[in-house]
Amino acid sequence: MKLPLFAAAATSLLITLVGCGPSPIDPKRQIGANPYLPPIHEYLLPPMHVAKVVDWNGATPTAAAGLKVQAFAKDLANPRSLYVLPNGDVLVVETGGPPGPVSRPKEIVMNLVEKMAHSRTKPGQRILLFRDTNGDGLPDQKFVFLDHLHSPFGVVLVGNDLYVANTDAVVRFPYTSGDTQITAPGVTLCELPGGPIDHHWTKSLTASPDGTQLYAGVGSNSNITENGIQAEIGRAAIWQIDRATGAHREFATGLRNPNGLQFEPQTHTLWAVINERDELGPDLVPDYLTSVRDGAFYGWPYSYYGQHVDPRVQPQRPDLVAKAIPPDYALSSHVAPLGMVFSTGTTMPEHYRGGAFIGEHGSWDRTVLNGYKIVYVPFADGRPSGVPEDVVTGFLIDGDKARGRPVGLAMDIQGGLLIADDTGNSVWRVSAASP
Amino acid sequence: MPFSNSRPSVSLRGHPIHVLLAPVPAVCFVATFVTDIVYWRTAAMLWADFSSWLVVVGVIFAVVTAIAGLIDLLRDRGLREYRAAWIHGLGNTAVLVLSFFNALIHTRDAYTSVVPSGLILSGLVVLLLIVTGWNGWTLVYRHGVGVHAKEPT
Repeated sequence: MKLPLFAAAATSLLITLVGCGPSPIDPKRQIGANPYLPPIHEYLLPPMHVAKVVDWNGATPTAAAGLKVQAFAKDLANPRSLYVLPNGDVLVVETGGPPGPVSRPKEIVMNLVEKMAHSRTKPGQRILLFRDTNGDGLPDQKFVFLDHLHSPFGVVLVGNDLYVANTDAVVRFPYTSGDTQITAPGVTLCELPGGPIDHHWTKSLTASPDGTQLYAGVGSNSNITENGIQAEIGRAAIWQIDRATGAHREFATGLRNPNGLQFEPQTHTLWAVINERDELGPDLVPDYLTSVRDGAFYGWPYSYYGQHVDPRVQPQRPDLVAKAIPPDYALSSHVAPLGMVFSTGTTMPEHYRGGAFIGEHGSWDRTVLNGYKIVYVPFADGRPSGVPEDVVTGFLIDGDKARGRPVGLAMDIQGGLLIADDTGNSVWRVSAASP
Repeated sequence: MPFSNSRPSVSLRGHPIHVLLAPVPAVCFVATFVTDIVYWRTAAMLWADFSSWLVVVGVIFAVVTAIAGLIDLLRDRGLREYRAAWIHGLGNTAVLVLSFFNALIHTRDAYTSVVPSGLILSGLVVLLLIVTGWNGWTLVYRHGVGVHAKEPT
C-alpha cells in the first residue's frame, strides 16, 4: 500500500525535523562581560522542558559550605518578593499576575505549560508581615499587613511613606515603625503600564539613596513584540518617578524584563537583573546583571547584547540599534533572574560580603535546565569581580523535578539572606553555619 | 456514464462527509496565505494572528477530512482505480503535512512567524490545493464519487 508507507515516511520526517535543534552549551561559556553568543536557532517547536512541581516534604534547599538554610515561613500563597523594614519586620508579598488574553492558539498551550511550572495554590494579592520577637532570626508572629492589592511586587519605604508597586500603579501608604497592619487607603503616586495584556507584570521598585526618586522596573508586553509595538509604550524600561510630584521619565530603556532593582551600596549606582528574550535557541539570549546608566538603551526589542539584531522585529530601527549598549555581566541563558540583593550584612561569612545574591527562577525552554538556584557574584569597587558561585541549590531534585523556584531576595536586619520561593510557597533564610 | 459508487462514501444521512468538510481546510489555508501576504506587507501583528488561527483550524479540519477521505479510498476499490483519486489523496496529504509545519512556524513570535518560511509554505499549499481540488472535482463531477445514483426503475 502506497498510502500508509507515505504516512509513515512523513511521520518520521516530522519527528526528526521537530526534534532537531542545537544541544545546549555549557552555561559557563556565557558568564561575565563577554558571553559566547551562538548563531540564532529558531525552532519549529521550542523545547518546552518544565520541571515538574513536587513538594518539599520537610526538606530544605542546600546551602554552600559555611552556610545553613532554615524555613522562615511556609504554606504561603505564591510569595514572590520580600522587603525588610528598618525595625526588622519582614514583608512577604504574596502575588500572582493577571490572566493574559489569548490572541493566538499558541497562548492556550503556553498558559497550560506555565500552570504546570507553578504551584497550584491560588496566589494571594496581599502583603504579610513577619516579626521575630526573640532574635533567633526566625519569625514568631505573622500579620496580614496590607490586603486586596493588584498583582503587587515591589515595595520600598522612604521615611514614613511605604510604596507598593502594583502591576498598574505605584501606590503610597502611611507607615509608622512597628505597624503590623495598614488600613488607610493608598494614594496613587504614578500609574504604570498594566493590562489588558500585561505580559511581564512584576514591577520591581527601589528608591534612590537620597530618597527623592523612585525607580520602577516595567517589563515588556511580549517576548519579542508579537503583541504589536503599540503595546510596548513605556515598557521594557526602568522608570524614574519623582517622589514629590509623581512625574516620571524613562531612566533607561531596551531592558526586556528588569527586576531586582538595587543601588550598589559603595558607588550608589543602580543595578538590576534582566530577563532576556526567548525562542532564539537554548543559549540565546543570556540573561544579565547590569548597572543601569541614565538614558542608556540596552537593545530590546531591536537588538540584543549591544547590536546583535533580532530578525523577528519589523520594522527595524537601525538608529536605535546604533545606540544600543551591551550590559555588564551575563548570567547565561534562560536562568530567569527575578531577584537580586547586595550583601550588606556583617554576619555572613567574609566570603559572601559586598557582592550580589541573585535568585534564578529557572528555565522552561531549554532541554537541560538552567538556573533554579541562588548565585553569588562577588563585587570589588562596585563592579563584578569574579564568577558566580552557587550559594543555595537543591530546588531541583532527580534532575528535573522542582521542589521550589527562587524569586525575590532580601537581607534581613541580622544579615541573613531571605529567599522567596513561589513554587514551594515558602520563604527560606540563609545564614552563617556557625555564628 | 457509469457512476463509481460501488460502495457509498462515509456519509451522514446520505450526504458524503468528505465532500461536506473539504471546503473548510481549503478556505482556511487559502485565507492563511492571504493574511500572510498582508502581514508581510504591513508588519501589523493582527494579520499574523489571523494566520495563526486560520492555519491551526485548517489543520484540525484537514485531519478529520482526511480520515473520511481515507476510509472512502480504502472501502472503494473502484475509487482506487482513478488516477485523480491518487493525485487528490497524496496531494492533500502533502497539504496537511506542510500545513502542520506551517502551523508550527506560525507559533514563532513576530516577523519570522510569517516571513519568509510561513509565507512560502502558505503559498505552496495554495498551489497544491489548486491541483488537488481540481482532481477532487473530477472525482465528484466526472466520476460521480459519493453521488447518490438514482435507483434503476
